[in-house]
Amino acid sequence: MNRLGFALVLAIALVGMARAQDVRITTFKGNSNFVLNGQSFKIDRIQDPDNILTGEFARTSRECPPFCIQPMIVAEGVATVGELEVMDFLETTASDGRGLLIDSRLPDWFASGTIPGAVNVPFMTLEAENRFRDDILVALGAQKTDGGGLDFSGAMELVMFCNGPWCGQSPRAIEALIDAGYPAERLFYYRGGMQAWNQLGLSVMTPSTEG
Amino acid sequence: MIRTVLAFFALALAICALIVFRPFSDSQDAAAMDPAPDVEVTRAIAPADPVVAPVAQSTAQTPRAEPRRPETSDASMDDMTAAVLAELGFETEAPAEPSAEEAGIETTASILASIEKATGQQVDVAPRQTLQTLVVSALREGQSDDYIDALVNEAATAGRVSVPDVMVTADGRVDTAVLLDNLVTHAIIASGGTVPEPSVDPTADRGVEVRVVQRAQDTVQARFYTVQPGDSLGAIAVKFYGRVDKFDQIYEANRQTLSSPDLIRAGQRLVIPELGA
Repeated sequence: MNRLGFALVLAIALVGMARAQDVRITTFKGNSNFVLNGQSFKIDRIQDPDNILTGEFARTSRECPPFCIQPMIVAEGVATVGELEVMDFLETTASDGRGLLIDSRLPDWFASGTIPGAVNVPFMTLEAENRFRDDILVALGAQKTDGGGLDFSGAMELVMFCNGPWCGQSPRAIEALIDAGYPAERLFYYRGGMQAWNQLGLSVMTPSTEG
Repeated sequence: MIRTVLAFFALALAICALIVFRPFSDSQDAAAMDPAPDVEVTRAIAPADPVVAPVAQSTAQTPRAEPRRPETSDASMDDMTAAVLAELGFETEAPAEPSAEEAGIETTASILASIEKATGQQVDVAPRQTLQTLVVSALREGQSDDYIDALVNEAATAGRVSVPDVMVTADGRVDTAVLLDNLVTHAIIASGGTVPEPSVDPTADRGVEVRVVQRAQDTVQARFYTVQPGDSLGAIAVKFYGRVDKFDQIYEANRQTLSSPDLIRAGQRLVIPELGA
């Protein structure tokens, strides 16, 4: 009798666990876990099948300009990536310290929710008008040369994103980086951005609450 | 077809930039006109060397084949003055808000901190100076005007600090005299004194010209000024109006020949409007 009760509890627990995994990332991947500089992050999907988008990302018709539809390829040599590649990048390249996921939006947007592990580098800080741009480029792995220029041979791979296909900020950041001499093959464009990320119910990190 | 699309895209981006980031527009202009785009690269390799002796000033003044103009910022002379006076303990008329320069330093610092947090790689960045910190520390040390002039010019031509564009003289130097004069004027105002009226003597001052213009109803005096080597727009405003912040009156009246306040040329003839006219 006692045994039967135990088996029943176990069966219920197993069914519950199976239910908790109803919404997976892919058939073989339930979530994405990675560690950046000692801080661990986890990405999974919202499990409520009835969940729908509300608020900013439910809007369809923002004014264009400035919120115009972006092309699939923003610059020659810059590959466009999707969610799986972003997670793979975080688990491998970024975890190894060879790459960064960059949120090109303004700080208030970043603070309202971003992809776990992303770093906020607002797009205009990468433009030539910013006198401190070189400092940021050096932080991204460029080296100052004796001639006063920058050597990008050790520069990190960067995945750039913003609010999604209606947001021109990461394309602008990519353009600015290429202008500065950043190698295009080390830049990636996640076109889906926060729009697609939220649409898929993937984990969103709020930097202000998580420090 | 794709070219047209790209052209429209670029245009849209440019318009977005202008609408959304108006504060950057001034510096964009300045950057576009800067004949030495490599100005930035020499900065920050080494932290600001303590100081150039005033002697070095004479060499800096000799005309070079391609004179390097100081970098300008959109910081107004007023903000800068208010900030310096506030740091020196004066009660100023306007509260000192962080300038674009300081905001830029702050933003950069926070970006660098977050990159560092994600990568764990230490980023070595030379400490930043602003015109304000430079002038305040020099004034605190009780340095002479000549010393401050050499200090500011050295830092500005090396691109380590940017200066308000009204302070750039016809020969591309930083007019620290007008900066210091403005500080004195505002310090007098802050401590309740009155600023003496400027008196321009057309016979004694070089470049000043007064003409009587006959109009239908009356006659008016029109004043002109021929820019002398070493003049900045700020200095001309002080000469005629007693206050550097009136420079925009001259700038507005001469927009056709003056594309930016830091681009006055020696020999250029400026209309000097009457204040309030």
